[in-house]
Amino acid sequence: MSNKIIQWIDHRFPFTSFVKHELTGYPTPRNLSYWWNFGFLAGFVLVLQVATGIFLAMHYKADVALSFDSIQHIMRDVNYGWLLRFMHSTGASAFFLVIYIHMARTLYYGSYRAPRELMWWTGQGLLLLLMATAFMGYLLPWGQMSFWGATVITNLFRATPFIGEQVVIWLRGDYTVGDATLTRFFALHYLFPFLIIGAVLVHLVALHTVKSSNPSGIDLAAKDNIPFHPYFTIKDFYGLGIFLIVYCIFVFFLPNSLIEPANNIPANPMLTPNHIVPEWYFLPFYAILRSVPNMVGGVVAMGLSVMMFAFMPFLDRSRIPGGAHYRPIFRLQFYLFLLDMLVLGYIGYIPPTSQSILIGQVATLCYFGSFFLVPFVSKAEERWLIKRGLPPDVQALIAGESREKSQSPLRRRSGDKK
Amino acid sequence: MKKFIVLLMLCCTPSALWAEEAKLETVQVETSVAAIERGAETLMINCHSCHSLKYIKYRDLANFGMDKKKIEDWRGDQPLDAPLSSQMSEDAAVQSFGVVPPDLSLMTKAREGGASYVYSYLLGYYSTPDGVTGNHIYPATKMPDILGSSGVTEPAAREELQKKAHDIVSFLAWAADPHEQERHRLGYYVIGYLFILTLLLYFVKNQVWSKLK
Repeated sequence: MSNKIIQWIDHRFPFTSFVKHELTGYPTPRNLSYWWNFGFLAGFVLVLQVATGIFLAMHYKADVALSFDSIQHIMRDVNYGWLLRFMHSTGASAFFLVIYIHMARTLYYGSYRAPRELMWWTGQGLLLLLMATAFMGYLLPWGQMSFWGATVITNLFRATPFIGEQVVIWLRGDYTVGDATLTRFFALHYLFPFLIIGAVLVHLVALHTVKSSNPSGIDLAAKDNIPFHPYFTIKDFYGLGIFLIVYCIFVFFLPNSLIEPANNIPANPMLTPNHIVPEWYFLPFYAILRSVPNMVGGVVAMGLSVMMFAFMPFLDRSRIPGGAHYRPIFRLQFYLFLLDMLVLGYIGYIPPTSQSILIGQVATLCYFGSFFLVPFVSKAEERWLIKRGLPPDVQALIAGESREKSQSPLRRRSGDKK
Repeated sequence: MKKFIVLLMLCCTPSALWAEEAKLETVQVETSVAAIERGAETLMINCHSCHSLKYIKYRDLANFGMDKKKIEDWRGDQPLDAPLSSQMSEDAAVQSFGVVPPDLSLMTKAREGGASYVYSYLLGYYSTPDGVTGNHIYPATKMPDILGSSGVTEPAAREELQKKAHDIVSFLAWAADPHEQERHRLGYYVIGYLFILTLLLYFVKNQVWSKLK
């Protein structure tokens, strides 16, 4: 019976061939480590955020007079409203954590290199959409941090040449952050996840064209590729289980640790909080903004700091496979960059003193410096590695894979160069 | 532009409050109905005349399991679904104190340090040489030393006072997050379930991957 139904569908829609091509027959490198789980996890968190968000929207009221109360209504009176709300607020942090690990993996293993530049760039677009969505969602509880965060960030658009003032008013819908801002942020916060879903589909189509990268950094021959299902479906589900345990510890036991105390005070335009801090996932970029004494310069630096990743395919000139895995100097650079991010995050969190501003400025220089050094360092490192001789296991791997491929050209994957 | 610079500078100047922040006494709030009910009672006598708890209704107290008789006394002729609004009008409060006393429903969540902050604040009063009271934790406070902590030095009386403040804070912590106990209870089940599920998934994963040559 079910066979007949599937036949009926297959006549009209490529169901079986789709499943075969994208799932049961989709070739995936067998050597993927658990660092490759995070793309799936990001997709899962996206679904979780959309699902909880839709139910929250049924009880939330986007009105400056009502929104703070409506959150408390959700937290206290709606059946399991507290669960929905904490899943959603924790989910935002989880989303960024997963995405940052996903990006760090790409950087470490050099997965942004040819032929995966478009994946990296669509990913960059997704990051921007995610940041915009998170920022707009943060205004909705209408707490003190919501209000003042939105005020400070929308103010940054004053840096737009010639029409800065108008752009800020256009964004806010008013001269200050107010009811018009809240309602439009709510509308856009509901819209953007669907744009993200669209961009994710583009990201996935690109992935299924070029196929996954792998820790060796070498395009594997057919014998080293295994079907996605069942091997990676089960591996992803196992990873999901571990992720959910960590996520649920936060949802059930530490949900308030991710909510700034000041955001439990209703927004008050007449009273600036002592210390305006963004959510943890914006802290490094916020520190860069504050490190530049000039306002326009700070905004440009902050925008650039997020966009710098997009240049990586051009900056990394090395042809040594495997990203940081086989490249000791690039690896060192990678870890120093992570350390620098942590320093920036800390500087963004603490109230600025003359000393912390100085540290922030040095860390900002290191941030951009590490990108600008990549072309020179990668080229020099490549020369040095070739002169010194690649490690024997890399050489064996490259030789073995190319032999395998030349013997069985028919088994090439669609993403391989012709 | 100018406004922005002022704003940015405001964000960038370390606040006086931050620098002078006094050390908090760490407390663990109690979660038993008895302690929370004691706290509610103390709060009704000492705080409720000026402070509201607008997100808590008398019915919530009853549903939590507090003594019906006491709730009847507190609410008087107000309906069971009335929120715990303060007995003083905002205008009168501004006349007496210069500010509207803040709503207490979220107080333990709305301050850095949470319940420990509120506890330390309640007990943080001291007498200045010129006969008024100040507060170590929140020097700008307009609230009088309602529990009388500035005048109490005798150990036994001090202990009594600490217990009182502890009860109030326990009640406030419950009021700020009334579903906390339910959340923890459910959390143990969910995480326990996930542990078993993940363990099973791990075995299935090993099983599936063992078929690979």
